[in-house]
Order: sequence, then C-alpha cells, then structure tokens
Amino acid sequence: MLGLEFPVINEVVRWVDLFPTFNKIALIACEATLIGTVVFLVAGAADWRVAPTGIRNLAEIVVEFIEGLILETIGPNGLKWTPHMLSFFIFIYLCNVPGIIPVVYMPATARMAIPLFLAIIVWVIYNAVGIKHQKAGYFTHMLWPPGVPVFMKPLVGLIEFVSNILLRPFALAIRLFANMLAGHMLLVTFAILTEELVQGDSVLLKPLGILPFFMLLFITAFEVLVGFLQAYIFTILACVFIGASMASHEEHAEAH
Amino acid sequence: MLSAVATQTGRSIQIEFDHFAAEAESHSEVEPKDGPSPIVPEIKELAWSAGAFIVFAVLMRFVLYPRLKQGMAARYSSIRDGHANADAIRAAAKADVASYEAQVASVKAEANARIEAARRTLEEEREVRLAEANARIAARRESARADAEAVRSAGLSELESAAGDVTERLVELSTGLRPTESVVSEAVSASMLEGAGR
Repeated sequence: MLGLEFPVINEVVRWVDLFPTFNKIALIACEATLIGTVVFLVAGAADWRVAPTGIRNLAEIVVEFIEGLILETIGPNGLKWTPHMLSFFIFIYLCNVPGIIPVVYMPATARMAIPLFLAIIVWVIYNAVGIKHQKAGYFTHMLWPPGVPVFMKPLVGLIEFVSNILLRPFALAIRLFANMLAGHMLLVTFAILTEELVQGDSVLLKPLGILPFFMLLFITAFEVLVGFLQAYIFTILACVFIGASMASHEEHAEAH
Repeated sequence: MLSAVATQTGRSIQIEFDHFAAEAESHSEVEPKDGPSPIVPEIKELAWSAGAFIVFAVLMRFVLYPRLKQGMAARYSSIRDGHANADAIRAAAKADVASYEAQVASVKAEANARIEAARRTLEEEREVRLAEANARIAARRESARADAEAVRSAGLSELESAAGDVTERLVELSTGLRPTESVVSEAVSASMLEGAGR
C-alpha cells in the first residue's frame, strides 16, 4: 500500500534564510526589481528611430498593453498612472514567474507579504485620488450611492464602508496570494505524488507515476498563464478602483 | 542562547560555555522547523518586498518609463511626420500628373488641329489639282474629238465623192446617160444617211 506523506503548508513555503532576514521571497522581490529595471534600461537605450525589436519591442508591447488597460478602465485622464500600473504589473508578474522556474520553484506572491503590501499601496492611492478629486464628497458618495432610501442609509453605509474601506484591499491581496499559493500547492502535490509512485516499493504502481507527471507538466504550463492572469487582474482592479475614485457623483449617476 | 556546563569541585564551581550549542541554536533560528505561517506576512519579507517595489516604482516613474515613452513618442511623431510628408508628396505628384495630363491634352489638341488643317489644305490642293487635271483632260478630249470629227468629215466627204464618182460611172455605163451632179450627190447622201441609220 502506498504511504503518502504530504508536508504541511508551513513546510512547503519554508525556506532557509540566505543570510539573516533575507530569504527566497526577498531574493525574488529584489530579482524582480533588478530584471524589470534592466529590461527597461536596455529597452530605453535601444535606438528609437528604427522599428523596435527584441527587448525594446517587448517593453513597448507591455507599455501599450497597460496604456490600453488604463484607457479602458480610467480613460485618457488616467494615463498619468501608467508608470505606477506598469510597476504593479511587471513586479507581480516577475514575482509570479519563479513559481515555475526550476531550482527556484516559488512564486513570491504565494506568501502574503507582497500581495498585502501592494494591496495597501493601491488602497492608499485610490482613497487619496478620491479625496483629491471629490474632497469630502468622496466618502459620502462611496458610503451612500445615489438612489438609496433614507431609512436604508445606515445599513448601506455600514456595508459600503466595510466593503470599500476594509475588505477591498484584503480581497485584492488574498485573490493574488491564494491563487498563487494554490498553484504552488498543486505543483508540490503532483511532484510528490510522482516521486512517491516512481520511487515506491510497488513495481505495479511505478508506471502509474506517468499520470501525475503529465499533470505536473500541464499545471506548470497552466501556471504560466495564471502568473500573467493574476498580474493582469491585480492591475486592472487597481485601475478600476482608481477610475471609480476619480469619477464624480454625477458621473456615477450618468453611468447608471 | 548559550549553554553552560557547571562543575563543582569541593567549594569551587567551574563553568564552561558550550559554543557549539550556541551556534546550533542560532542556526535553528535561521531554519525554523515549523516554518512560517502560510497566512501571516513576515516582517522581513514585507520589508524587503516593500523596499524592492518602492525602488522599482520610483525608477519606473522617474527614469525607466519616461525614457522609453520619450523614444516611443519621438518615433510615433516621426512616423506621423513621415505620413504627412508622404501625403504632401502624393498630393504634389498628383498635381504634377494632372499638369502633365493637361499639357498632353493641350499638345494632343494642338496636334489634332494641325493635322486637321493639313488635311484640309491637302484636300483643297487635291481638289484644285484634280480640277486642273480634269480641265486638261476635258480640253484634250475636246481637241481629240474635234480632230476626230475633222478626220471623219474629211473621210466622209472623200467617201461621198468616191461614191458619187462610182455612182455616176455606173449610171453612165448602164444607161448611157450621164446623171447630173446634184442627182448623184442626193442619191449618195440619201443612201449614206440610210446606212448610218441602221
């Protein structure tokens, strides 16, 4: 009988410090900053007069992708947020990708620190933008959307406060963190299952190791998509929140 | 945490610190057996991630994005200028083509007019020459006809004279009488007219 010993999550996400306070997550975060910076420096140094190729082409595609995202969600006024949204997208993507890179095999966003910090940054930005554009009206508009009956205002205000102020950043963080952690756990699960079947004592079960191995390959390929998708979702939600904060009460009413 | 071994010999106590135990202890702090909580963010990760992201965001905001965007904007501007130049050149080329076509049409019209004038001149000249030739032919024909008529009249008169002589001699031989010249002439004329009428 196959005795499968699956490690607890704490063990899976544990990693020895390279030196005190600096572990794999810190390494991946620094590496993401370094790679993103180098890519954009190289892209910026390329000759702009000729048709873009290679790294410059890649960087311009990413810039245009983010600009398109901002135009769809915030509008032309939001283009000033392009560098910030680019930072979110590239940093998250480069933190997600190591989850499928051999030896590293750990998405930095599968730990709560990065998603939580980024979500708090987004929270600060969209609240600051709301206050800047709508002054004190931002909170009244947020807490009491147009058309709410007077007797419902306390309840709706409480719900909107909890939803917009308290839960939204956590939802943003947990969406990214949980998706990446789940993908990482799936990879670990099928890797352990493959290893146990192939290296197990039972000769009959050894050939069955090919099944979880194929699942491991499939999920690895799927994680490439998930890594991009989660970066995209985080960025587009950040844009949507900022766009909603910039829109005035009247614009909200017109939209409805 | 350091480990110490205390040894009592009589009234004295000897204490030895265990450095290997201290090293092992510090190593175990670096590698916790239980591992971090999967939910709660660790301060060290939070600090490093925040630092890394802030550095990246600041670089992106003030260096990386403006530099790349400046190049993109310059290239797009150059492409737009190129399009504008191409449009201007196309318009100029179209104007040149129109001007050329107008010139060609003008030259063609002038050539046609000249050809038509030449054709008319030629036709007039041909008609004049033809009329002259016809006049010459008619004059020559008239002259030839007059000549032929004169020859024929001369022949006819000679024939009439010969026929009168023959008739007179025949009548004289057959009757023994010599007919008058007028009778012979009338008879010959009548018979020649009858012969010509058949």
